[in-house]
Amino acid sequence: MIQVLANGIIAGAIYALVASGFSLVYSTARFVHFAHGATVAAGAYFLYFLSMQLGASFWPSAVVAVAFAAAVGIAMNAFVYKPLRCRNASSLVLLMAGFAMLVLVEAALLIAFGADIKTFNAIRVEKGMEIAGAVITPLQVSIIATAAALLLGLHLFMKRTRLGKTMRAVACNKTLAEARGIDVEKTHTYAFAVSSAIAGVAGVLIGLEQGLEPTMGANLVIKSFTGTVIGGIGSVPGAVLGSLLVGMAENVGAWFLPSGYKDAVAFVLLFAFLLFKPDGLLGINRGVNK
Amino acid sequence: MRHDKMLEFTRATKSFGGVKAVNECSFSIKPRVVTALIGPNGAGKTTVFNLACGLLKPDSGSITLAGTEITNLAPEAIALLGVARTFQQPRLFENLTVLENVLLAADSNDGSFWKNFVGANRVTPAKEETARKALSLAGMQLHEDALCRELSYGQKKLVELARSLAKPHQLLLLDEPVAGVNPKLRASTTRILERLRAEKKTILLTEHDLQFALGIADDVIVMDEGCVIAQGAPPAIKRNEKVLEAYLG
Amino acid sequence: MIEAYFTHLLILICIYLTLAISLQLSMGFTGLFNLGHIAFYAIGAYASALAALAGWPFLAAFAAAGATAAIAGWILSLPTARLKGDYLALATLGFFFVVNAVALNWNDVTKGALGLPGIPKPEIMGVSFADNTAFLGLAALTAAACFLAVRRIAKTPFGNVLQAVRDDELAARSLGKDATKAKATALCASALFAGLAGSLYAHYITFIDPFTFNIGELITVLAMVIIGGLASLEGTVLAVVVLVLLPEPLRFIGMPSSIVGPARQAIYAAILLLILARRPRGFGGRVEAQ
Repeated sequence: MIQVLANGIIAGAIYALVASGFSLVYSTARFVHFAHGATVAAGAYFLYFLSMQLGASFWPSAVVAVAFAAAVGIAMNAFVYKPLRCRNASSLVLLMAGFAMLVLVEAALLIAFGADIKTFNAIRVEKGMEIAGAVITPLQVSIIATAAALLLGLHLFMKRTRLGKTMRAVACNKTLAEARGIDVEKTHTYAFAVSSAIAGVAGVLIGLEQGLEPTMGANLVIKSFTGTVIGGIGSVPGAVLGSLLVGMAENVGAWFLPSGYKDAVAFVLLFAFLLFKPDGLLGINRGVNK
Repeated sequence: MRHDKMLEFTRATKSFGGVKAVNECSFSIKPRVVTALIGPNGAGKTTVFNLACGLLKPDSGSITLAGTEITNLAPEAIALLGVARTFQQPRLFENLTVLENVLLAADSNDGSFWKNFVGANRVTPAKEETARKALSLAGMQLHEDALCRELSYGQKKLVELARSLAKPHQLLLLDEPVAGVNPKLRASTTRILERLRAEKKTILLTEHDLQFALGIADDVIVMDEGCVIAQGAPPAIKRNEKVLEAYLG
Repeated sequence: MIEAYFTHLLILICIYLTLAISLQLSMGFTGLFNLGHIAFYAIGAYASALAALAGWPFLAAFAAAGATAAIAGWILSLPTARLKGDYLALATLGFFFVVNAVALNWNDVTKGALGLPGIPKPEIMGVSFADNTAFLGLAALTAAACFLAVRRIAKTPFGNVLQAVRDDELAARSLGKDATKAKATALCASALFAGLAGSLYAHYITFIDPFTFNIGELITVLAMVIIGGLASLEGTVLAVVVLVLLPEPLRFIGMPSSIVGPARQAIYAAILLLILARRPRGFGGRVEAQ
């Protein structure tokens, strides 16, 4: 049982990272950034390209990959979302555009790298340590630690820094923020930069823990969205909590159901919440597209 | 069957997150007259409208239509009982033509998939007649093939009015029929309403434009802060102290 | 050889036509952004395959495909009745993933990842449709039936109710229209035809597995519907023909077949993005993707 919990926390940590970025974009720009999953994949594969194919040293390449992911996110906003927003596209159209971008990126990755699962050989596969009855590898510990640190950093950023407060202002009331002289478009760009950088980190961590495959993005998006809905749309801390729950539920589910159904747990949860508790567990609902 | 109360609210209350938009509101409106619902901003008029047509459900209290309890009915059911309404911002079916919009109101058998598929329900000349009559009353008969998204704001309001008229109804709810329209349109809308009033239609309308409202109404209900503070004929209301205080104080 | 190739393309066009036109019914006419449409395709394919492998005559299996898919459509309509916009899109996408997961894991029935090989070619009253030209007749008949049925629905007053529900559900309800029933009917009918398309696919390729019905198929069908123009049946026909034929030249320029698949999807995704950005009314021109 403890093992299930441990696995749940590890999965939840990764989902929380992805969901935090996803939720950041949702709360500031008010639409589902479907291509967020593609950013994760792009970061992961760029690192693969640098470290495995070009032979660059791992950790510096990881930093570059995170920057690359941020750039990808900014580009997606600049070249696709922004022009659509300027033409008053509905959030549904933006969702479809994001979906199209996700497929485009995944197809490109498939063509460039092939469909087989790739791994980073940079870290020695270490034996798991036993902590309180569960087996957990050092890598997994560092995943949890990194995720926790990043999320804490994000929280402080949103609460303490000027940019973070600006983002929250835009999230709360875009018209008012604009009237107060805040450059909303620039804020969006920053939101994409931050959330995509976090996505890049998630990509690196997932690559280390599970390996890479071109379709990793789509799955993650649905799970992050589930976490976001569970925690309350529009709330970044909520998305984090919700995602931890998704990670937990998945692993608890895997204990009872055949392992292949693990992924389906998140989807069923999504369904259930959308049906019965669309405002999430905490009942936060800042701006919904209903 | 004749009722002396077409619409009756009995101590209806509706809150939104701690704010009582409608607070123990009670009133009734008589059939075959034009009643104006007025009051300062935030008085609860639109909430009353939404409660009357079923888009909102009261937290407590009851609502009846010509004697039938409608408090917990779905909007579709209330509409079928004979409530037709226009909205503050016209809600037309933008990708359909003007005529198609009005025909939808006139046709009550279009909900059955099989009936329609096998052709047992068609657009009959009678339905077209009803639709076109409503359109010409509203002055929009020349635009029947225009797509609604190409109409101007004023034109949309007129089409929406026509659509409500084409729908079988015993009560018309008109939500700010002249809000934001130019003086010419205001005049033609006034003429249309006068005609409807002459035809003895039961109308409940709400309007910020006091001159318009008091000019067309037979009976006036005044709301402030979620409840009714006065009800009577326009001359009496104009002199009513409570009303003046609500608007100016 | 050339003739066989063209026959093959025409069969594909008929199958995709059935899929796209049925999606127009729920998405274009009723405004239901059902990103799970491919799930109905999969359900129909599996139902038909399993029935045929169990010895059922083709017509019975074909009918079973439509019926099973229609029931699934009805089931999906229940929880999604009150969902709109993004939420509906994501919930239906979640449904798609659940169906996928079931196909992948219900080994006893669907044989999981191994798939179902050896699906018999159609035989109706002693006449075999194994020959591709004969099969084309069958496929064309199905596509035509779907087109005519949907066109009929669209032209009746009921069709106008569907469009009214799409354009402004609140106003439709305030006119006395039962929007919930209308949406459920549209979803059922569209699922039925998607199921028939699935049956055609299964009996043509004679092999299906869970990977056949993937996100790529979704982008393909979505692109056909949007590029054709929402609620435009003629536009959809044009879009299907163009999109099926467009990537074909890739085969002849020496691209390895493993790349042709993702390349096709990338092309579809790219065109979809272009249309969303530039001409959201697609070929058909009446309803804007909003």
